[in-house]
Amino acid sequence: MLDKITFNVKNGTVFGFLGPNGAGKTTTLKILTTTLNPSSGSVYIFGKDLFKNQLEIKRRIGVVTQNPSYEANLTTERALDLYGMLWGLRDKKTRKRKVNEVLRTFDLESIRNSKNDELSIGQRRRVQVAREFMHEMDLLFLDEPTVGLDPSARRQLLDYIKAHVKSGLTVFFTTHIMEEAEYLCNEIAIIDKGRIIAFDTPTGLKQKYGGGAKTIELTFKDTLDEYFVNLLKATINKKNGDKNSVSDKSKSNIDVNGKHTITITVNNVEEIISEVLQVVSRHDLQIESIAIIPPSLEEVFLSIVNDENKPVNK
Amino acid sequence: MNMLIVDRIILLVYRNIVAAIDRIFLIWQIAFPVVYIFVAGYAYSAMIGDQGISLGSITVTYTSFLTAGMIGFNVMNGSTVAGAIIWNDKRNGMFQQLLVMPFSRPQYIISNLITIILIGLASAAAIMIIGLPTMYEDIEITLWSIPYTVYALVIGSIFFGSFTIILSTRIKSSEGYNVISNGLFLFFAFVSTAFYPAQGLPWPLSVAFYVNPLTYIVDISRAGIFSQIDMVTNIQVLVITLLAAVVFMIATKSMVRMKV
Repeated sequence: MLDKITFNVKNGTVFGFLGPNGAGKTTTLKILTTTLNPSSGSVYIFGKDLFKNQLEIKRRIGVVTQNPSYEANLTTERALDLYGMLWGLRDKKTRKRKVNEVLRTFDLESIRNSKNDELSIGQRRRVQVAREFMHEMDLLFLDEPTVGLDPSARRQLLDYIKAHVKSGLTVFFTTHIMEEAEYLCNEIAIIDKGRIIAFDTPTGLKQKYGGGAKTIELTFKDTLDEYFVNLLKATINKKNGDKNSVSDKSKSNIDVNGKHTITITVNNVEEIISEVLQVVSRHDLQIESIAIIPPSLEEVFLSIVNDENKPVNK
Repeated sequence: MNMLIVDRIILLVYRNIVAAIDRIFLIWQIAFPVVYIFVAGYAYSAMIGDQGISLGSITVTYTSFLTAGMIGFNVMNGSTVAGAIIWNDKRNGMFQQLLVMPFSRPQYIISNLITIILIGLASAAAIMIIGLPTMYEDIEITLWSIPYTVYALVIGSIFFGSFTIILSTRIKSSEGYNVISNGLFLFFAFVSTAFYPAQGLPWPLSVAFYVNPLTYIVDISRAGIFSQIDMVTNIQVLVITLLAAVVFMIATKSMVRMKV
């Protein structure tokens, strides 16, 4: 169920719509693509009321649904050709040229004569996404389009979409893969329990909700011993313990990865790093590498959604 | 890109024919009645002897009677296409995909019915041609009578097409759909005048025959083929038209309510 959600999508951008399972993403998408009528509210697409201009708007949009959709008895080539025809591409030569272009772009030439029923899930997904580019559109809805795709096909698809966005296409994109959202989206809305709980650019979200937390990744030439790790933990906790009275955001998280690497997530990196280096120096250990990693969108997403789900103490 | 409603329906019909219909089904659609005509037709004829079947003011051979019956029967047989199209489209996600394209639910249902009518008429014509040698002595098609046969086939397609649409939208599992549709179609097929005349039947069976819409379709179609149109034929036309209209409305309502 959706609860009074409002958002605007800028023309020629990728709008990411993220949220946990059951948050309301697909319901929103179904309303926007006219397969579900909302009990109240209004939707404007291309500046026109969706419910009064359904057909006109549907002619200008493309939709890749979350569920597979395919014509089981047709070959990939025939399915693309038929799809083009359904979209009004009457001229056979134009359709053939378009089919060849799509087959080449989406690396489907090897399966052009295979029936949809014979394809793997990933191949079928690729055909489903590719099919949508058989027609011209101004707005493309992509509901988790990369599910089932291998990393190279995934990147190929994202780059293809990026290229189309540059030439004016607007994309409404839902995904569970935060790297994809970060790579592709200009703006992101996070929905949970039917409400939009965060809305910004990926960088804006990180700044707003990342709490300034960064991760220090230290790799040592020497093998780490328990005494050193405990000493480091005690030092960082002491430092941040003083801060806790000021802000509870000064939390630290220390993890040992293997025998040589330690990661420390804090929001006061500059202060902590000098303390860490002093401890390292006192302990006579040699550092192989040091990296400061900003929070990922996934961490920000989890923090936003988890904060939302925390019980409120009154 | 700016297509008329008619264009969109034609496109959907074309799509149904090339994508949604199984070719083996189409072969079966012709093979099944042909086997009946040539095997059951001649086998039962041998049993009945030369007496023939009384039909209005004429008497026809049993094979002629059966071939004409099979033409009407095939309309029902072909209507299962509607259920198959909807089931496949639901299972393969094409129903949702078509609805997010510039097509509407009413266009989808009309295209399904037109597909069934086309299949019904094409298979009826094929059976007529294949079965012609079995009834050439009795057949008497006139400009006045043939519209009755064509109308019976069209209205029969609408009735049974709508009927299978209702079943496929209401029944959730494919197994349930198969069991119920096969059971009902078995009743429609064998408790009708498709295979044997209704005259002389015990009255409960006779009532059952005339509760069955297939009887009306077969009777009208047969009356057209043998030019035996009378008042009863016209009443049957009226009854089946009303029934088809009601079932079509229910089917449309079911389709409109069908969740994506």
